[in-house]
Amino acid sequence: MNEITLDVNGTPHKVAVEDTTLLLDALRRRVGVTSAREGCGVGACGACTVLAEGRSVSSCLAVAVRYDGTPLTTADGLPEDDPVVSSFVDSDAMQCGYCIPGFVLMTKELLSENPSPNDEEVSDHLEGNICRCATYPEIIKAVRLAAKRSAT
Amino acid sequence: MSAGRVHRPETLEEATALLGELDDVMVYGGGTAIQILRKQGLLFTEDYVDIAGIPGLRDLTVTDDDITIGTLVPLRRVETDPRTRRLVPVAAAAYGQAANPRVRNTASAGGNIAHGDYRLDPPTALVVLDATVHLASAAGSREVAVREFFTDFQETDVRHGEMITAITVPRQPDGSRSSFVKMRSLSENDWPCASAAVLAVPEDGFVEIRMGLGAVAPTTVYLAFDVTPDMDEQQAVEAALDIADSVMDPIADIRGSASYKARLGRVAVEQAVRSSLKELSRD
Ligand SMILES: Cc1cc2nc3c(=O)[nH]c(=O)nc-3n(C[C@H](O)[C@H](O)[C@H](O)COP(=O)(O)OP(=O)(O)OC[C@H]3O[C@@H](n4cnc5c(N)ncnc54)[C@H](O)[C@@H]3O)c2cc1C
Repeated sequence: MNEITLDVNGTPHKVAVEDTTLLLDALRRRVGVTSAREGCGVGACGACTVLAEGRSVSSCLAVAVRYDGTPLTTADGLPEDDPVVSSFVDSDAMQCGYCIPGFVLMTKELLSENPSPNDEEVSDHLEGNICRCATYPEIIKAVRLAAKRSAT
Repeated sequence: MSAGRVHRPETLEEATALLGELDDVMVYGGGTAIQILRKQGLLFTEDYVDIAGIPGLRDLTVTDDDITIGTLVPLRRVETDPRTRRLVPVAAAAYGQAANPRVRNTASAGGNIAHGDYRLDPPTALVVLDATVHLASAAGSREVAVREFFTDFQETDVRHGEMITAITVPRQPDGSRSSFVKMRSLSENDWPCASAAVLAVPEDGFVEIRMGLGAVAPTTVYLAFDVTPDMDEQQAVEAALDIADSVMDPIADIRGSASYKARLGRVAVEQAVRSSLKELSRD
């Protein structure tokens, strides 16, 4: 067992994890974060996305011990008036919502690197995320709106 | 999932000592390939050597001649670092098309090549640039040309007791032009069913065309030929397709039959050669 501190949305959580405990499992079972979800389990769908120091990570392929003390962001840590969150809501960019935390965090990363992406850059960045309700057109609208709102 | 023991050495010496002493042991890089194999029940290794605590393995250093990419540099950094984009654009392009941004943030440059998959995108660029792989073991260090590194289907030249410490990539030659083309049959960020990195290097009186092909044979393939002044673009493309045809030996899987992949391999080669030559003629 390892005693590590998971710094989630600014709050430190001391947790005990095995050498091989995945970040996703540590967040869900030890910290109680439910916005990071298991989808494919192999890094291809994006439902388990979290940001580590602002960079997107598939938490289903990452071991928790590597993230001891690293500032982590999960979608539930974003305020309602966050420009990306409010843009997804105002664009009706979800049906069941299972995948949306991943899309929101990928959008946060994209806009932090590239504040006014064109449509191709948006799809390049979000292509590794899958929405089984296929709300892709609304998601693209939400990202465009979020870019506008973040700029003002 | 079996528990697995993870060793966390803090120096290269400790790491290579562990790798030499333990029988069934693997280096843990970014872990993206290891985790999938574990979940699929294909990996039974008990001991992992996590190299994240060893200083220096995340460095990306530039000299007048080359760029050295530490083994733990994430693929995404090779893709986005302004120095790699400027000095080795064909590498930045190939690294930037592997998997999706999240996997590229986690996967390491060394783990990528050590994985040894015949479909990997980054090696296609590394072979055309004539990169060198640096390996360390308790006995010392050695270098292997990346063109010799991929020895057979899923096999590399990493020996028991060794680990990759870095990859050195020579700067793209002055005046050269390059292109990376990747064909996918399932989804936009999937593995390729064929890929081609091409570098066109102007020499005295001819143009050397270097090609790295992925996914169309059991290992990454390196090929080169010269375009002489009597050849036009179409003839150069035909020459490229001729030598590409001679090595194509695709493996049929869910991404396509062997003939489909060979067909797309030809398309990738043609596009990459045309685009490099067009850019060259524009200079
Ligand atoms: C969803 C998904 C899609 C993908 N699509 C593509 C794609 O389109 N194109 C592509 O090129 N790749 C693709 N990949 C593969 C990806 O590039 C590899 O998983 C990744 O590069 C492996 O790097 P890693 O650091 O995570 O390796 P690890 O999982 O840490 O290790 C992989 C292997 O390398 C060994 N190793 C690691 N570091 C060292 C070292 N320093 N010395 C010696 N051995 C070492 C390990 O022991 C293991 O055998 C995809 C992966 C995923 C998850």
